[in-house]
Amino acid sequence: MDSPSSAIEAEHLSKFYGQVVGLNDLSLSVGTGEVRGLLGQNGSGKSTLLKTLLGLIHPSSGWVRVLGIDVQKAPIEVRRLVGYVPESPRLYEFLTATEYLDFVADVRGIGFEEKKERITRLIDSLDLEGKQGETITGYSQGMKQKVAIMGAILHHPKILLMDEPLNGLDPRSARVVKELIHSLARDGVTTIFSTHVLEIAEAICDRLTILQNGRILSEGTAQELREKAGLSNSGLEEVFLKLTGTKGVEDIVEALRR
Amino acid sequence: MRVHVLLKFAKILMLSRLRNTRRSFLSNGITNRPILIALIGSIMFTAGIGFGTATVSFLKAAGASPADVSQIVATIFGGIPIFLIGFFFTMGLLWELNASSESESADSINWLPISPSEYVFASTLSTTYTYSPLVLVTVGYSLPIGILTGNTLAFLVLVIASVVAAFIGSVTVEILRSLLARASTAFSKVGGRLMILLRILGIVLILLFTQTIFSGFLIIRIINSVSSANAATILVPLLWPTLSITSILRSNLLSSAYFLLLSFGFLLLLSSSALVLRSKFWVSTPPSLHFSNKGTISGVSRLRRIGVSVVSLALVRREIRSATRRKEVVRLMTIPIILPVMISFPALFSPAPTTSVASGLISPLFLAVPLLFGVGLGTLFLGMTSIGQEGKRLWNLSSLPLEAEAVVTSKILFTSITSTIGLVLGLGLTVVFFQVSILDALTFIAVGITLVLAEASLGVAIGSRYPDFSDGPRPRFVTIIGSIIGAFLGVILMLMMSLPLLFLLLARVFPLLPFSLQLSFLLGGMLGLIFARISYSVSIRSVDGILRELPN
Repeated sequence: MDSPSSAIEAEHLSKFYGQVVGLNDLSLSVGTGEVRGLLGQNGSGKSTLLKTLLGLIHPSSGWVRVLGIDVQKAPIEVRRLVGYVPESPRLYEFLTATEYLDFVADVRGIGFEEKKERITRLIDSLDLEGKQGETITGYSQGMKQKVAIMGAILHHPKILLMDEPLNGLDPRSARVVKELIHSLARDGVTTIFSTHVLEIAEAICDRLTILQNGRILSEGTAQELREKAGLSNSGLEEVFLKLTGTKGVEDIVEALRR
Repeated sequence: MRVHVLLKFAKILMLSRLRNTRRSFLSNGITNRPILIALIGSIMFTAGIGFGTATVSFLKAAGASPADVSQIVATIFGGIPIFLIGFFFTMGLLWELNASSESESADSINWLPISPSEYVFASTLSTTYTYSPLVLVTVGYSLPIGILTGNTLAFLVLVIASVVAAFIGSVTVEILRSLLARASTAFSKVGGRLMILLRILGIVLILLFTQTIFSGFLIIRIINSVSSANAATILVPLLWPTLSITSILRSNLLSSAYFLLLSFGFLLLLSSSALVLRSKFWVSTPPSLHFSNKGTISGVSRLRRIGVSVVSLALVRREIRSATRRKEVVRLMTIPIILPVMISFPALFSPAPTTSVASGLISPLFLAVPLLFGVGLGTLFLGMTSIGQEGKRLWNLSSLPLEAEAVVTSKILFTSITSTIGLVLGLGLTVVFFQVSILDALTFIAVGITLVLAEASLGVAIGSRYPDFSDGPRPRFVTIIGSIIGAFLGVILMLMMSLPLLFLLLARVFPLLPFSLQLSFLLGGMLGLIFARISYSVSIRSVDGILRELPN
């Protein structure tokens, strides 16, 4: 096993879909209990990276270790320890929220009394009470997101991988999830989550990683990124735009208005 | 109603049909454009002319009398509109049944300024155009018959009646769609298991109804009724297009015009009904089923005492819920149950006594083989679609600590359980119609179960090797190539399992061979189990690959 302070380690990860680059020689190390934010434009490789860390995507080259376990060699072991929230989760719409969580709990080997207590508590905490007996088909996007988050944390994971987890959540639930991530981090749970909302990234994350074209463009705390961009007193949005080389926003707006 | 909007929307619906039914193996270009239908129609029209000319030549060569020719022309011309109404209605209905639950909502279009009338007419036009090659082949077939037998005027009436019939079939589907949407909402309010049972029963009945129409028996009886100038037939609006043709064939021009006008009137009435219903029952959100206020957490199952793991139980429970609650899956689940019934249609309708065969050389159990064939095909089909139906929800399984063995076992188990229901139904029919002995019935069920296991395993193996995870409005769950390979292997498997029966027949001819019926079935069953084991291993490899590399 690697250094105990390093919960996730990836070296020289590449993923190619034919000519399309998903990840390009990416190396990453995330410490135990750290909250890491993934930033990047659409198609920069954030979702691909998260899926590769969980073993949902086989890398073209490179390796990943989660809590010292080689993901390619023992993906099932890794999945026992990790909770995952995908971007726009497609749940089993034909199940009710309770049935969905019941299924996840059974597959994860949680005993009857324990799963009953956890499911009831989670449904109460995320304001799904009264709706848990209806099939997920009729749920709003935010409600589906809540069910996905509940499914990811039901088994008390040691690692949380969340792809834009706050999408569609109402302010109260978003706040609950943010506090939850902080609280879990204090208990030693490592979280990587991707977001496009830079204020949230700055508020929640210990460190940020900016991806571009499947590579790490920059990495560090929010303040370190500001310094790298030479914008010590600017907002993170300015820093992000400068580091990713996004230019001519005004011209684009003008073109859209026409 | 804006005609240009109607035509544009009909074109979009056409593209949706084309690209959802052929997406796996055809690329862009003409194959993805509505003009393809017109091209197919032209080819079929030409082919129809060829067949029609051949029919007339055959009749002349056979020396058919003018009375015989008149009778044949009346049967062909009169049968076409009835057949077209049934065909368009059935195809539209089956298309509707194939729609995924998620695509039931009109959300994708109801933000656009499209009126219910534009929606109804565009959809009707799209259905009619999609299946128009059938109209063209029947018209092409009738053209030489009409001209060469001196019934040109009847042919012209037939052309008009055929078009009207096609539209009647299509617009009836629109009425049914609205009613189904309304029923679906009403059932959702009922909620719970009752709604699920009603839906399964409804789909079984709809499929049986459509298959009865296509059994041929009904059409022949109707034509006989019309040809014999049965007065009651004029009260059935669906027969008016046919009556317009039979009238002109009897040189009754006024009566023909009268029934043709009535047919148009009936089409107008149906269209108005479709409009009213669509505007009343416009579906805005997919229905959500309500089961309880608290939701149910599963307890400790008794099956655990016999060694069934919690994971296996959870997976099978999920399969059952998926199969009974998803509209696009319910129709698949009913296939192994319906097929044995359909295959027994000839036995049900045939006037010949079935028991007389039993006294002969062949055991009545041989007659049960087609039923097993039906169950086998249904099982294969259900198995082939079991992996692809995970669709974009596959991440749920992939992200959980699940071994491929557990997933494959649950798929085979569920497919087998469902098909065994069809098998028992088949056994019931066998006992009733063929009066088999208890020993034969037990043999039937034993070999049936091995067949079900073998076909389910083969189906899952093919389904995991050629899955179609695309969650379109009309999901298919297995690629076209996979379907072809699966069907081929499935039939080969059944033929191989039937080989011992061939030996048994030989043993009857050459008494030296010590073969009994039970022994033949036993050998066939053992072959099936071997196939099941091989397919199981193949499935595990494929599913393991799917769980390790989420399809992009």
